[in-house]
Amino acid sequence: MKTVIVYKWARNAEDAVVRNDGTVDWRNAKMTAGEDDFAALEAAKAIAEGDELIGLTIGDGDASWALARGVLQTISVTDASNLTDNASTAAIIVAAMRQIGGVDAVVIGDSEEYAGVPVALAGQLGWPAIAHVSSASAVDGRVQVVRKQGSSEQTISIAAPAVIAVSAASPEKKTPGMKEQLAARKRPVTKLTLAAIGAASDDKVSSKGTRLPETAAARIFDGDPAAAAEQLVAALRGEGVL
Amino acid sequence: MSDAWIIVTEEKQVAALVAAAKGLGGKITAIAVGPRALADAAAIAGPDEVKWVDAKGIPVEAYAGSVARLVAAALPKVVVASGTVEGRVLAGATAARLGAAVIPGGLKLSALGDRTVVERADLDGRVVETIEAAGPVVTFYAGDDVASEGFAAVPVEPVGTDAAADILVEKTEPAAGAGAGINQAAVVVSVGRGLKKKDDLAIVHDLANALGAEIGCSMPVADDLGWVEKERYVGRSGQHIAPQLYIAIGIRGAPQHLEGIRDAKVVVGINNDPDAPIFKFADYGIVGDLYDVIPALQAALGK
Ligand SMILES: Cc1cc2nc3c(=O)[nH]c(=O)nc-3n(C[C@H](O)[C@H](O)[C@H](O)COP(=O)(O)OP(=O)(O)OC[C@H]3O[C@@H](n4cnc5c(N)ncnc54)[C@H](O)[C@@H]3O)c2cc1C
Repeated sequence: MKTVIVYKWARNAEDAVVRNDGTVDWRNAKMTAGEDDFAALEAAKAIAEGDELIGLTIGDGDASWALARGVLQTISVTDASNLTDNASTAAIIVAAMRQIGGVDAVVIGDSEEYAGVPVALAGQLGWPAIAHVSSASAVDGRVQVVRKQGSSEQTISIAAPAVIAVSAASPEKKTPGMKEQLAARKRPVTKLTLAAIGAASDDKVSSKGTRLPETAAARIFDGDPAAAAEQLVAALRGEGVL
Repeated sequence: MSDAWIIVTEEKQVAALVAAAKGLGGKITAIAVGPRALADAAAIAGPDEVKWVDAKGIPVEAYAGSVARLVAAALPKVVVASGTVEGRVLAGATAARLGAAVIPGGLKLSALGDRTVVERADLDGRVVETIEAAGPVVTFYAGDDVASEGFAAVPVEPVGTDAAADILVEKTEPAAGAGAGINQAAVVVSVGRGLKKKDDLAIVHDLANALGAEIGCSMPVADDLGWVEKERYVGRSGQHIAPQLYIAIGIRGAPQHLEGIRDAKVVVGINNDPDAPIFKFADYGIVGDLYDVIPALQAALGK
């Protein structure tokens, strides 16, 4: 199946420091691929089954991420900025996909932070979607996916074209070595602009800032371990959980 | 004042979805997609009316197109969906029909003139971001559950659908570890990479025995180190558990780990780093070396 793997390259939210006033300091945040993206790529390769597999990323990040992982060609919409509205992000991906044409399956990381992108993408394409998928393959011209739902694991078959949003189960175990990195540099990156694909990069919403959540802070016992342990046990007995 | 629709795919959060939509001050219509019992649960959660799409046992996602058409026809300013995997798919299709913005992580909604204000969780819940939208907004609810206040049931109106999308469940099996004791345990003592060597698990087991608890762990302790069975690791890709008491020992509190204990009643963190994220999430904490704290806890429990 002709498959598109959508991946992102963005500031790592785990590196963001939340200041005491609730504002966010991104200065030390490193750029990174989405944590689900490598698992999405595995699924995309299985769905493509040797047929065309095309990478697609938006923003000015490192487009070679997919190329170093066996994808032969990729498209980058370089002037798309990071938007709060997930539907606007999806619209840019849809516009880029129109340049590709004839796609049977789009595979994308199902990240918590951008949980609306895969489903908005499916909605705008008018395609069915399955989220939180752990693995996928192509079976008799359909896409077969496995996903965990509560305490059960479902195998679901979905007719193409479809959007498959994949969640990784663990960090990436084997990252590309020097050889793969060098091979990636020889592979083509098609750079497109928003104007060229007829998309806009405007957010439909505006952020009015961030603050700390109201959750009550933990009651911390420190100092002498024996005293701390006694206080904790007393507190837990008070809660009725011991 | 703005009218809202809520998209209901599971009973668990339905009262919370309605409560969130009430912040907008307008009429609330619930559309329940699933069995009749789901629609009945929505009917007593406080909305003004309930529409019901009978999912007839096929995946809820197959009705995304129908739900989108039904909801968009009413032109609501706001749509709130549960953040479940199915709810999101229905909400995404609805957003496309409505031309709405999509904001994950919704906690609180209000109307400001003709604008909608969404407060949402961001950075794994470390901050709350205030977002304003002039046009329609679709959000996935990420706040706490609330207890239903015993509202009188409103009528449930079954609604017809277009042909469902071609999605079939081929097989359903119990997930790995679904039957593990940790899933039913009232108390779980869980250990992370703060433990220095496998033999030291003995003190963790002793504490667990004293508490009548099951042993859990963070992913690397099971996956990379192999010290504890894989069925016992807790988190996003491991077990999602709801014990009365969860004690995280030498566990940093990575967001993927915390995903597995959102429904725990009381969480205790024991860590020698006062800045460990577990202390932001926990109800109680002891800052200290686990090799001192575990024996101290044993002693305190014996008193
Ligand atoms: C896609 C993906 C999915 C994942 N899914 C899961 C998941 O389901 N479950 C999961 O757990 N993780 C998961 N992870 C991994 C997660 O990101 C963390 O890496 C992991 O949870 C860290 O485990 P830890 O806290 O035991 O180890 P560390 O991060 O190494 O933390 C050890 C902690 O122990 C403390 N410590 C050290 N010595 C002592 C001492 N003597 N006394 C007291 N405290 C001490 C340290 O201060 C530190 O806070 C996932 C990651 C990815 C990318």
